[in-house]
Amino acid sequence: MTAPTLGAATAAVPPRRRSTSWTAARRVVLRKPGRVIGLGILVFFALMAILGPYLYPGQLAVDPESIYAPPSGAHWLGTDFAGSDVLQEIVVGARYVLLTASLSALFTAVVGTGVGLVAGYHRGLADSVLMRATDFILTIPAFPLLIVLSTVWSFANPLEMSLVLGLTGWGGVARAVRSQTLSLRERGFLEAARGLGLPTRHIIVKELLPNIAPYVAMQLLLSVIGFIGAEVGLFFLGVVPFSSSNWGVMLNQAVFAGGAMNSPEALGYLLAPLVCILLLTLGVVLFLDAVDELFNPRLRERS
Amino acid sequence: MKGLTRRLLVRLGTGLVMVWVVATFTFFLVHALPGNPGDAQYEQYLTQGMAPETARAKVAVIYGFTSHEPLLQQYTSYMWQLLQGNLGVSISYTGEPVVQVIRAALPWTLFPVLTGLVVSFLVGVTAGVVAAVRRSSRWGGLLSLSGSLVAGVPSFVLALLLAFLFHTLWQILPFGDTSDVTLEPGFNGPYIASVISHAVLPVATYALLSYGGWLLAMKSSVVSVLGDDFILASELRGITPLTRMRYIARNAILPLFTVLALSLGFMFGGSVLIEDIFDYPGLGNLLLKSIGARDYPLMGGAFLLITVAIVLANILAELLYSVIDPRVRR
Amino acid sequence: MTDTVQLTAERAEAAAEVSVRDLTVLYRTDQGELPAVAHADIDLPTGTITGLVGESGSGKSTLALSLMNAIPAPGRISSGSIQVNGVGDVTRLEGRALRRVRGRALGYVFQASQNSLNPLKTVGKQLLDLGRAHDVQDMRGLVRRARELADEMGMDGARVLDSYQHELSGGMRQRVGIVLALVLNARVLILDEPTTALDMLSQAAVLEIVRKVHRQEGLTTLVVTHDMGVVSEIADRLAVMYGGRIVEDGPATEVLQRPAHPYTRALIGATARITGDTDTARALPGRPPDLTTVPRTGCVFRERCPLAMDVCAETEPQLLTWAPDRRRACHADPATTAATGEGA
Repeated sequence: MTAPTLGAATAAVPPRRRSTSWTAARRVVLRKPGRVIGLGILVFFALMAILGPYLYPGQLAVDPESIYAPPSGAHWLGTDFAGSDVLQEIVVGARYVLLTASLSALFTAVVGTGVGLVAGYHRGLADSVLMRATDFILTIPAFPLLIVLSTVWSFANPLEMSLVLGLTGWGGVARAVRSQTLSLRERGFLEAARGLGLPTRHIIVKELLPNIAPYVAMQLLLSVIGFIGAEVGLFFLGVVPFSSSNWGVMLNQAVFAGGAMNSPEALGYLLAPLVCILLLTLGVVLFLDAVDELFNPRLRERS
Repeated sequence: MKGLTRRLLVRLGTGLVMVWVVATFTFFLVHALPGNPGDAQYEQYLTQGMAPETARAKVAVIYGFTSHEPLLQQYTSYMWQLLQGNLGVSISYTGEPVVQVIRAALPWTLFPVLTGLVVSFLVGVTAGVVAAVRRSSRWGGLLSLSGSLVAGVPSFVLALLLAFLFHTLWQILPFGDTSDVTLEPGFNGPYIASVISHAVLPVATYALLSYGGWLLAMKSSVVSVLGDDFILASELRGITPLTRMRYIARNAILPLFTVLALSLGFMFGGSVLIEDIFDYPGLGNLLLKSIGARDYPLMGGAFLLITVAIVLANILAELLYSVIDPRVRR
Repeated sequence: MTDTVQLTAERAEAAAEVSVRDLTVLYRTDQGELPAVAHADIDLPTGTITGLVGESGSGKSTLALSLMNAIPAPGRISSGSIQVNGVGDVTRLEGRALRRVRGRALGYVFQASQNSLNPLKTVGKQLLDLGRAHDVQDMRGLVRRARELADEMGMDGARVLDSYQHELSGGMRQRVGIVLALVLNARVLILDEPTTALDMLSQAAVLEIVRKVHRQEGLTTLVVTHDMGVVSEIADRLAVMYGGRIVEDGPATEVLQRPAHPYTRALIGATARITGDTDTARALPGRPPDLTTVPRTGCVFRERCPLAMDVCAETEPQLLTWAPDRRRACHADPATTAATGEGA
């Protein structure tokens, strides 16, 4: 009895994820050069974050002889106020920035998916309460809130930083997951699965999650840029203690100590982190195009 | 009208709850601060030789409460002051009520934010229509990409790049403060010109900040309306192209009101960074400076006002939406 | 005078309100331009209701849209003519002239589930837009006529004109669509899937109304549907489409009783399931083709055809008259098509 019913239940779910094999993914990414570039950028920064600290072990070299040196053979991107190599700072700082953003995204995914699933699955009172909370999180001015929070809590270490960022950022994911759950419900998957007597846990884990995961993934990719912006912004404003070298600290030093806005001296120091953030944004945006097509089969061209 | 009133009431209700939560949050935040600033202030007055009674009264004026009362009483006293529109007294602007400090700063946030909003709306919506109509061409694709990119880039990156390009590199535009400080403020040509030129960079940043949102939303909205059956149906009834364009425009604009609220929230939130970079004396700058100066009444007030602005923007968006959409109205 | 066949053909054309000749509609795809409708020939005789039947993707909606010369973007009418009485060749019209024909000479009604009304405007306001677009001088008269039509269809005309789309039920929207199609006195009414997405009762009501309006206004009506039941209920004539080709046509009762094309037979057989006659019911094996999967040579139906022969793969059968007022496009003997379908 159970075997055929289970088979029927899985057949009722569109085989979207199962067909999203590696070959399909590769084909979609390779279709447009922009997507390859986007993926390349993301991989490049991921590698930088993972390998950076091993490339430049130990402390930043300080060289009082060459402060704010222009780009040269020795210092590809010039040097900063202490004569340290800007390229080295970028590479070493990447880990903090990306690790924090990824952890925030993970946190967001867990909370957002949880809230969205429960709201969409149970509807009724749970739904309205959770959606009120979601609206609240979405409307509250997140960045000012972070600044105000920084007065009581110096959340500079990656775990705390990502916790705070995640706490303020799960609204979008929750919304998306809820509406996706509701639309699955409308298409009759849930009724079909429940009609077959499947336990709730099975329905959520086996039937709903696989269909929702793509949307969460897309939301996450988008939110990662937002998180990078927020954390770097906090360091840039100088409201969070500088515990480690990262891009935000660099920007802060360049603008407020180096006077990069008034003299082109600290140019490389200012531009390097900016360009990194721009590149990352570009990478995410370009790559999202591929993810979008992969998970929205309607967009997929016949081949 | 019943549905509309209900929706507005819900918005208003959640807005009020939000303002209340934020106010409560700042109250307890100030309490949680290492070395309660109210007590510190009190101690300072005492060491200055002030009588305890006077010192306590002065602290109460600044913070709306003193820590010599039970917590609940402090809280109600603070809230009571708040309801009367009293946000306490600023410490860094010695003796000036927070309300006045904020009132002086508010126009310098509203003016660039609203100008930026109008500019980005006009440019973004137009670009969105073009991107929708030309969505299969290379230019349409690039336009959409510009939207996603700008929508993703953090506000301060935009601000810094603009400042760097137009101020440092090409030296076209000034920045810092709202006008040239040597000029006499008033209704005279040079001053107004200076105000405008100083506002260009902040306004451009705000505009760029929400341009992407408008573009992307308008694009997808126009695309979906173009695919709507009533557009084809009206074509098959021989409705004139002009009338059809009006059908499309009005239907496509509708979903943008959610973007309006989001955009305004984004801009007010981003004002902290943008005003800091351009040294523009608005609300965001005030918030940041108050933290640097440990001016907690001012901090709470500025944060509260930013929240209120966003709540109002939400209600406004809801109102506009219901004016256009009959499905909400009835 | 000696060529009598020619003469009767001309007479038939004169009696047709709409006559489609050699119509081909191409759609641009990844694999080049492919025909959605190929060499279609069909007449809509004045005063009749013609049912156009086929599975989704058979080209029936495309054919209906080309009567309005309204093929959407990647598609185009590449050849053929569509003569409409009093209008001329619709395929040659463009711009303002085409716009004036739509709505005034030809009325088109969308599927009920589709929303053919602007959701932000009342029906009345959209009626005025329609009047303005066609330079109607007497707006009062237009409103009066719309109200009368609505009343005739069993609605409260005044109230309907004051309503938004979301305040109307599916059946009412459908009827409002018919009102807007006929309010400018169009002679030809085209209904695209008029009953799809309606419940059984509304279906019956809408069909009843179509029949009534058709008679009262003296219309020439084309009903596009996938539902054989609708056709048997309402149509005088029947045309069956498959893979962009008209494969059979003739008087509705005759075609339904004695189908002469294996596809028509299969369609009727598949419908029998609803009546409970499961012994004779047969679902058609395989899937209906789309633009890219239609066989490029030979008969378009041969891959699903129980009667397929060698010749079917080589030569495309022409739509030919095989009995009085009956045409079909099939290589098989008319007698065999009748026999095999029944037995299988």
